[in-house]
Amino acid sequence: MAGKEVFALRINGREREVFARSDATLLEVLRDDLALRAAKRGCNQGVCGACTVLLDGVPVRGCLTLAGACTGREVTTLEGLAEDPITRALQETMIVSGGVQCGFCTSGMLVTARDLVAQTVTPTEGDIRKALSGNLCRCTGYVRIVEAVTDAVVALSQANTDTREAIQ
Amino acid sequence: MKLEGSFPVSAPRSAVWEAIRDPGLMARCVPGCSMAEQIDETSYRAMVTVKFGPITARFNLVVEIEEEIAPELVRSRTRGEEGTRASTVSSTNILTLSEPEPGITQVDWSTDFTISGRLGKYGLGLMKKKVESLSTEFVQTFAAKLEEGTEAERGTA
Amino acid sequence: MSFVVSPTSVDEAIAFLVDNPEARPMSGGASLVAMKNARLIEASHFVSLARIDSLRGIRRNADGSVTIGGMVPHRDTAACDLLDGDLRMIRQAAGQIANRVVRNMGTIGGAVANADPAADYLPVLVCADAQVEITGPGGKRLLPIRDYLVDWYETALEPAEIVTGIALPPAGSGPSVYRKLARTPGDFATVSVACARDGDGVRVAVGACGPAPLRAPEAERALAGQLDDPAAVAAFCEALVALADPVDDVRGSAEYRLTLIPRMVAAAIRDVTGGL
Repeated sequence: MAGKEVFALRINGREREVFARSDATLLEVLRDDLALRAAKRGCNQGVCGACTVLLDGVPVRGCLTLAGACTGREVTTLEGLAEDPITRALQETMIVSGGVQCGFCTSGMLVTARDLVAQTVTPTEGDIRKALSGNLCRCTGYVRIVEAVTDAVVALSQANTDTREAIQ
Repeated sequence: MKLEGSFPVSAPRSAVWEAIRDPGLMARCVPGCSMAEQIDETSYRAMVTVKFGPITARFNLVVEIEEEIAPELVRSRTRGEEGTRASTVSSTNILTLSEPEPGITQVDWSTDFTISGRLGKYGLGLMKKKVESLSTEFVQTFAAKLEEGTEAERGTA
Repeated sequence: MSFVVSPTSVDEAIAFLVDNPEARPMSGGASLVAMKNARLIEASHFVSLARIDSLRGIRRNADGSVTIGGMVPHRDTAACDLLDGDLRMIRQAAGQIANRVVRNMGTIGGAVANADPAADYLPVLVCADAQVEITGPGGKRLLPIRDYLVDWYETALEPAEIVTGIALPPAGSGPSVYRKLARTPGDFATVSVACARDGDGVRVAVGACGPAPLRAPEAERALAGQLDDPAAVAAFCEALVALADPVDDVRGSAEYRLTLIPRMVAAAIRDVTGGL
């Protein structure tokens, strides 16, 4: 495509050089140029949430963010959260409770749910449903996804208690 | 989608008839019209730019006269598309002129139009509002130009 | 040259827009990039306003008035303590825009510049008698939001002008509320109502029922002192219905919207009168 240029993006803690149009979306650059394919292209209109990634630690839509506007900022995709304890807890409970069916929405669900759990000590079911309202799932009917987040919160607080007891 | 309206012009029917058949004058009255020219006896070409919030659409239109009874009726069909072919429009239009009293012409118009492609996504509801406001703008300019012309004639008479 | 530029000052952004008439300013991108993806808009360049520090933050001025920077995301507006009393409805509206993630991106300046007739901010800002701070090649000007909103998606913004802030009068003590009816949480409103108590009367603005929010100042004056009179409230609602010019769309028919207005307005008035 015409108009490509070289620019640097900081992605998952690494400096990456990309050759793309600066008005390509962050999602396009992540998937097509950097082969980071956790974020999915669903609606490309910001509605489905499958492309959710973190920009300077804040969840945003990859499809509504222009890559050229991300220079000098920190982009984190689900791949970059592989060692994050909250993400790991969510992944485990998603598997156990059956919150994953086709898997298309899962990456976006995890990035959004992780932000909720990181910022809210004990989210209620209502909090979880509200937080995930911008992430569409066409398989599960959401019940199991909400269950998974609830279970992850319990597991994380249990882990915290265990850690505190071990220290004492 | 159907739209209709009517408006009076303080000019004799013959003058209004002349005006609606004058592509140059119509181009100056249609909002966003940058060019209008006659192709042959019964067809015209026009370029119209419509701004809709952040969206700008440039249409290449062809107007074909299907029936005309001078100086009282024109039935026409408009077809066109954006330069990028991103959307297409078509409409059938009827315009009638009557002169309820000398020097006052009543213009009645109706149009049935469809729009498809990228602008179709915006929904016909909003398109209708846009067409309504454009037609109001047209009526004001058209009436003003004709009345101006009529007065100028009187001035020279 | 790059298709995306990120100036660090308003002057720099405006100078670029003046030099490049086909460039577009971009705030959060939530609506603009969605339209770009749908090939509804084109631009030679996108001028990101994200790095302009002066457009950030919500501040209370010496005279008690409050200014919300153009680039303040909905998330921050929804959590701002300065917006209390009769400005509280602005927080409520901000918190109901789209969803958690989009509220991190979208900004008040972007929403006001885009001027979607169903946008949540418009009725609360009209109800609050907000002024839009516009900066362009000719400098800065303040315009009452009712004069700023011209027609469907049409504003008083001139080429190369950007919305740099929203100026709000000092917060009054009266309660205020934003009521939104939408098909699903996070959707654009089918009808929305902003209502603020003002002495013994109310200010009311109705969203998504015309090119700009409906406001009936004369009817508001007539209603003052009679908030507990159902007949007076009904007459007030009728005055707003008479101003409405709703569209038929996927969110509801025009007729349905007209039916909703009196019910939602009456409910909003009850909210701010504590059921007098």
